[in-house]
Amino acid sequence: MRLHPKKHPRISRIISGWTKLALIAVLLLVLSAPQTVSAHGYIVRSIPEDRAALERAPARVSYWFSEELEPDFSSITVRDATGEVVATGGVAPESGVLLSARLPSGLPDGAYVVDLRLAFASDGHVIAESRTFFIGEAVGGTAGAVSNWSAEPFEVLWRAALLSSTLLLFGTFTVYTLVLVPAWGSSTYPAGLLPPRVMRRLNLLVIGGLIGAFAASIAALLQQSSVFFGADVGRVLTEGLWNVVRIGTRFGDTWNARLLLLALIAALFGATLYLRREYPNLVYPLWVAGAWGMALVLGAWSVSAHAAGSLTLAWVALLSDWMHGLAAGFWAGGLAALTLVLPSALQPYTGDQRRQVIVAALNRFSPIAAAGLVVVVATGVYNALNWFYQPADVGTGYGGALAIKLLFVVLLIAVGALHRLALAPERYARFVHWTRRVRTFLPSLQLESGLALVVLIAAGWLSATPPPDPNLAGESVPVPRVSAELNGVTLSGEITPGGPGVNSYDVLLTQNGAPVEGVNARIRLADPLRDWRGAWHTLDDVGDGLYAAVGDDLTQAGDWWALIEVDGERAAFSVNVNEAAAVIRQRPPNSFQLLALVGVIGALGFAVYPLARRGYRKLDRSPTSLVIALGATAATVAITVIGLGAALSSQSEYEAVVSPPPAVVNAVLPDQASLERGEVALESRCAGWLGDPAFAALTERLDRTRDEDMYAMTRDGWRTLPPCAVLEDQTRWDVVNYLRSLEE
Amino acid sequence: MTPILAHGALGAADEIILIGVAVGFLILMGISFMMNRNKLVEDVDAPAPEETPSDQPDHFRLD
Repeated sequence: MRLHPKKHPRISRIISGWTKLALIAVLLLVLSAPQTVSAHGYIVRSIPEDRAALERAPARVSYWFSEELEPDFSSITVRDATGEVVATGGVAPESGVLLSARLPSGLPDGAYVVDLRLAFASDGHVIAESRTFFIGEAVGGTAGAVSNWSAEPFEVLWRAALLSSTLLLFGTFTVYTLVLVPAWGSSTYPAGLLPPRVMRRLNLLVIGGLIGAFAASIAALLQQSSVFFGADVGRVLTEGLWNVVRIGTRFGDTWNARLLLLALIAALFGATLYLRREYPNLVYPLWVAGAWGMALVLGAWSVSAHAAGSLTLAWVALLSDWMHGLAAGFWAGGLAALTLVLPSALQPYTGDQRRQVIVAALNRFSPIAAAGLVVVVATGVYNALNWFYQPADVGTGYGGALAIKLLFVVLLIAVGALHRLALAPERYARFVHWTRRVRTFLPSLQLESGLALVVLIAAGWLSATPPPDPNLAGESVPVPRVSAELNGVTLSGEITPGGPGVNSYDVLLTQNGAPVEGVNARIRLADPLRDWRGAWHTLDDVGDGLYAAVGDDLTQAGDWWALIEVDGERAAFSVNVNEAAAVIRQRPPNSFQLLALVGVIGALGFAVYPLARRGYRKLDRSPTSLVIALGATAATVAITVIGLGAALSSQSEYEAVVSPPPAVVNAVLPDQASLERGEVALESRCAGWLGDPAFAALTERLDRTRDEDMYAMTRDGWRTLPPCAVLEDQTRWDVVNYLRSLEE
Repeated sequence: MTPILAHGALGAADEIILIGVAVGFLILMGISFMMNRNKLVEDVDAPAPEETPSDQPDHFRLD
C-alpha cells in the first residue's frame, strides 16, 4: 500500500525532511570534492630531467619531491625500451623526499622509462607516474611523461563522506551554540534550552554525522591499506594489513589523531544523552565543548592536507586551509543544520509566527554566515594561489574554473546581502524595491541554497582540474661531474643534485672497461674561499664498480674542491655548486600571494570584529589601566625586537669568530702532484721540522688548524719550528696541502 | 625528533607547535564548558541587543 503524503501530513514532513537531507548531503558531498583530487606533491628536481638525452648513463636516477614519501610503499623501477627491468630502488634513507635507483654501468644506448610509485606520507595518496630519458640520441616516437594522477573512485567517496559529515557536525554544534539557543532558547527547557522536538532533531543530526564520520574513517583505512599493499579488502581484513597501515604510516598517525578526537566528541555527546534528565544543565556546555572539539577535527584535516606541504610559507598555508575549513563549516555546515532543524522548530506555528521564528534565527545566522563566506572566499583565493606560480597560469583551465566559481560566488553574496537588508527594513528603506522580493525568506533561502549548490559544484570542478604544473623539475642544471686516471684506474664522479644541501657522491671506478671492486675509497668537500673543509666520507662499495656516499657538506653555491682518494692515491677537482641545482624546499611568496594574504587577514578581521567590539566595550578603559596595558604591550614588543636582534647579532658574531674569512686563500688544488711537491719542499726547505716534537704536536691538531694558519707557520715558524726557507707562494701552499694530508 | 603529524614541512618545532595548538583547543574546550555551566539560563532569556530593530527581534521563544 502506498501512502499519499498529502493525506498523511506526518509522512509528508518526514519525506520533506529527508529530501532536504539528501539535498544537503549532495551539497556537502560536492563541497568535499576539493579535498579529494586537489594538488598532490610533485617533483621539485629530477636527475636526469624528463626526456633528457644523455651521452652516458648516470650512476643513478633521482627524483626529489615537494612532500615526504612513505618508504615502505614507494618504489622506482627503470625499464629499457623492451620493458625489461634494469634497475629498482626506493626512498633514500638519508631523505624522505628522495626516490632513487642505482643504474648498472654500461647501459646501452636507447630509451629508458622510469616508473615511479609514489605514496605520499601526508595523506596516503598513491600515484603512478612515468618519466623517460635517453642514452645516446633521443629516440623519436617514444612516449614522454605519462602520469596517472586520477583519484580512486572509492577514495573520492570516503573523503567526500568524511568531510561532509565533519562539516555537518561542526555546523550543527556551532549553529546550536551561536544561533539556535540565542534565537529560540528558553530556560523552560533546561536540557539543552530548546524544545524536546528540536533537541531530538539536533541529536539525530549529530548521531548521523558521527556515524558518517566513523564509517568513512573505517572505509578510509581499508581503502588506503588496499592501495598501499595492492591487495583487495578481503586480504586487508583477514591478514590484518589495516593495522600495519594504522600504526606504521603517517596516514595512520593522522587517522589515529582524528579518530581519537571524534571518540572524545562522541563521548561528550553521549554524556548529554545520558545525563539530560539527571543533570540537564550540562547539556548546553557539553555541546559548546563539542564545537571546540570539531574545530580541532577540521584542523586535523588541514594537517593531513597538502597545504602543510606548501613550499611557500607552509605554516600560513596550513592556517589558511584550517580557516577555510572552519569558515566552510560555519557557512555550509551551519546552513545545512539550520535547514534541517527548521521544520521541527516551525511545526506548531502558522502565518506570521513562522516568519518570526525564521527571522529570529536568520538575524543570528546571517552575520555568522556572511563572515564565514568572506573568510571562505579570501582563504580559498590564497589557497589556490599556492598553486599559481606565474601569470600565464591564470590562463590555464584551472584559472578558468576558478573564474567561473568566483562568478557564482558573487551572485551568492548578492542574494545573501539581500537577506541581510531584508532583516533590517527600517535601516535600509531605500532598498525596499529589492528587499520586498525576499521578505518571506523561504523562497529566497531556497534560491540561496541553489546558488550555494552551484558554487560548490564549481568548487568540485575547480578541484578536479589539475593545477598548473610548477615545472620546477624542468630546469636543466648540469650535475657536477669529474673524471681522472689514477694508476691506470679510470675514475668518474658525480655530485647530485649538485646544489647546496644534501647531495649524493657517486664514484665509478673502471679499469680497461671492467669495474674495479674491493678498494678503499673516500671523498672530502672543501670550500677554499672560507678555509673550510668537511669530514672524509667513506665511499661504500655498492658493487659494479660504483662507490657511493651521502653528505650535506655543500652549504652554499660557489667553487668547491672535491678530494677523492682511492687506496691512498689522491685526485682533486674544482667543482661548481649551482644554487639553481638545489632541491627547492621553500619558495618566497609572490606579490599575488602577499595580496591574497592581506585579503585573508582583512577577512579574519571582518569575522572577529563583532567579538572584538564586544570585548572592547567590556574593557576597563580608565587612564591607569590604559597606561599599564599600553606600556606592557610596548615593552613586550620592544623586548621581543631587541631579543631577536641580539640573537641574530650573536649568531653572526659567533660565525665570524668560529670561521672568519681567511686573510690568505689557498689557491693550489691539493691533488697528488701538489702533495708530492709539498713533501719534497717540506723536507728540503723546512729544516728541522721533521723529528721536532712541535711537528708531532702540529700533526695532532691539524683537524682544528686552518690552511691560513699553516701558511703563516711556514712563513713565521711555530713554537720550536723555524720558518721555512724562502718559498714561492705556490710551493708554500703545496707544503700546506701536504701537511693537511697528514691529518687523520 | 621524527616529524609525524606535521610531516616535517613546517620546520624543526612543528610537532611541538602542533601539539600545543591541540592542547590549547582542548583547554579552551574545558574553559567554555566550565563558563557555560555556571551562567547560562539567565543569559538565554536576556533582552535582545539594542541595535536590533524592534519589529525584527532576534529572539523568539519556542514553545
